[in-house]
Amino acid sequence: MKNIVKKIEPILNKTLNKAESFIQSRPGVNFLFGALFEAFDGLIRSSKDTAKTQPFIRNQMDAKQYMGGVIVALLLGWVVPAIYFFGFMCVVPKIIVSLVVGVFIVDVLWVILAREERINEGGFVTCLFIPAFLPPQAPLWLIGVGAGVSILFRNILGGVGNNLVNPALFGRLILTICFPTMVVSGWQEPFTGMPTFQSLKSGIDAVTHATPLIAFKETGEVTSYISLLIGANAGSLGETCRIALIATGIWLCIKRIANWRIPVAYLGSVFIFAALFSLILGEAVAPPMFQLLSGGLIFGAFFMATDPITTTYSQSGKWIFSIGCGLLTVVLRNFTPMPEGVMYAILLMNLVGVPIQSIVLKIKYRT
Amino acid sequence: MAKKKKVKKIYKNGFNLLEAYPIEFSKKVETVKYDGPAETFDFPFPERKVEHVIVNLCPTEPWALSNSAVINNDTQDFPDFLDKLDKVRTGHFPESHCYVVISAQETELIKELNQYQSNTDKIPLDPPFAKGEYLHVHTLDPIYPNDAPALIVKKTLGLDVAYGQNTAEIGVVILEPQTVVGIFEHYIQKSEISTRLIPISGTGLRENKILKVKPGTPIQRILDGNVREDVKCRVFVDGPLNGAEVKDLTQKIDWSTRNIVVLEEKDYKIPFNYARVDELLFTTSLMGELRRCIYCNYCDDICPVGLEPALYWYCYIRGEKQKARLYALEKCIECGLCSFICPSKLELLQVIKECKSLK
Repeated sequence: MKNIVKKIEPILNKTLNKAESFIQSRPGVNFLFGALFEAFDGLIRSSKDTAKTQPFIRNQMDAKQYMGGVIVALLLGWVVPAIYFFGFMCVVPKIIVSLVVGVFIVDVLWVILAREERINEGGFVTCLFIPAFLPPQAPLWLIGVGAGVSILFRNILGGVGNNLVNPALFGRLILTICFPTMVVSGWQEPFTGMPTFQSLKSGIDAVTHATPLIAFKETGEVTSYISLLIGANAGSLGETCRIALIATGIWLCIKRIANWRIPVAYLGSVFIFAALFSLILGEAVAPPMFQLLSGGLIFGAFFMATDPITTTYSQSGKWIFSIGCGLLTVVLRNFTPMPEGVMYAILLMNLVGVPIQSIVLKIKYRT
Repeated sequence: MAKKKKVKKIYKNGFNLLEAYPIEFSKKVETVKYDGPAETFDFPFPERKVEHVIVNLCPTEPWALSNSAVINNDTQDFPDFLDKLDKVRTGHFPESHCYVVISAQETELIKELNQYQSNTDKIPLDPPFAKGEYLHVHTLDPIYPNDAPALIVKKTLGLDVAYGQNTAEIGVVILEPQTVVGIFEHYIQKSEISTRLIPISGTGLRENKILKVKPGTPIQRILDGNVREDVKCRVFVDGPLNGAEVKDLTQKIDWSTRNIVVLEEKDYKIPFNYARVDELLFTTSLMGELRRCIYCNYCDDICPVGLEPALYWYCYIRGEKQKARLYALEKCIECGLCSFICPSKLELLQVIKECKSLK
């Protein structure tokens, strides 16, 4: 594998160098495609900048590796399990549609029209999120609309480092407002057992089934924790296989890409608040373990809430942020007609993160 | 478990450069011939009474001169070095306490030092007292920037020194091992001392070497025949993290020059750079593109004095440079680790310096 890469490298380098000099030597071409080429070149190759001021050596880790880690974790955490549970034909077209609409249409148009270099690794992460929190039977156009809205919103805010709220969750919010029935129906019973070619290709015949949270809301039925952990329940595409999500989430924390404080505080506070409320109010509130393992909580805690720029900068602010997320999630799930509250909780706390940050700084530095 | 510990050791409150960029020097010490005028040794003794002498035997940068090189070259063995230190102390810093700060990994030197300390040789003073009473051993993890003056004083004596403040003002003198030998030979033995050990290292060199150089020699002369010709190189004095770049190679080295690092420039694009995880390339390449701050918290994790450098950057880009001073800016020791670690490749150290310079 390494040898192949070593052989391809010089050829690729040469071709790209040629293309670069070709584009730069012709003003007309450069005006139309210069920014586009630079953006795609940036995805493949490193920059040629050198350190001009102290310190003169820099760490290897850059934004591409940082986001690349998230992409790898997402692929292992939800794409691979989803292919097993719902079939290749259910998962992969959705990801392709999401990426094509998000990165290759909206981003590319933005680069050509606005002349801002906006194609970067962050867009891929956002587009990988979109199918993950929609039901398995969601139509492809819904995914496309979601990805387009998310990337557009992200570009308007300013891309990496400027996002006020998580753009993928914002896209989902728009979908919830515009198509309220489509995002909460179309749940499908996943395939379980030994995988066959047929099951890996297209899953089993669609049998609609309520998600564990909806079932609890309607009948008070608590699904078994083991099946919740493995993912043998109805639910959004990406959120069912909790064990894979936990494993990749912990890997992200060890790699220091996700801040460990956020999942720990988020999951911990959900458990504590759920236990507290169920002690006070009894059967009306779902048991804490069930709350932890159901819905999009694990996915949200490890992948959505840890999106670094939308949280606060201070470490202590991160604790407050995630405890707020936990409290809001429990409240929204149990005291409103909605079965799920992770999305609203994270979006709301993203906004509240700004005042939290300034209050934490005021207390810490006594200004 | 062992791996987990290593990660923590590397990134929390400092950076284990010795582990990240292992540099092997060739054993033989070469002499650089130079016939031009040499600088004479001169140590600026402080006017105020010195209460504490700190001897820094804990190099935290891999390109710095190792203790064994000094001891093998200038003295017979470690006790001999300590004898010289003792004479320097009694001769020039009377009634002061001497703290030998030593890397926690050099167990043999620590053993020898403890033996020397408990030596029953009474010093013929009135009244005689054992060496243990003035000689103190202090171990330190060799993590950059633990040997910066402000941190070494804080960790051994518990005294606060601001960055850039002369430690002599509070009665502390920090000595490098080479300076100890220099003072001994020049002021006590009155013999002529004319050479100094300078380690040269880096990816721009054919071989990492330790050279014996006369201060006053131009850098060009030192690097002659050692630099690789197939790559573009940049030369740094006193390390690439904290030191300065040398543009003019006729610049002469002096008695305070600690080391010379020559790095490959690497100003070209490399495909799939991001796939090379866990690889620290020892070049001047930025290794990434400039982005906005993404709140990754790497800079405040690595900061040895517990600051939050990204805050200064936010103040800076909003145009509120004055506001940066509110966030404990004066504590910064300018070690450069925040710029080093930043995945968005922000020039945090430059921002800090600019905010500091506003009065």
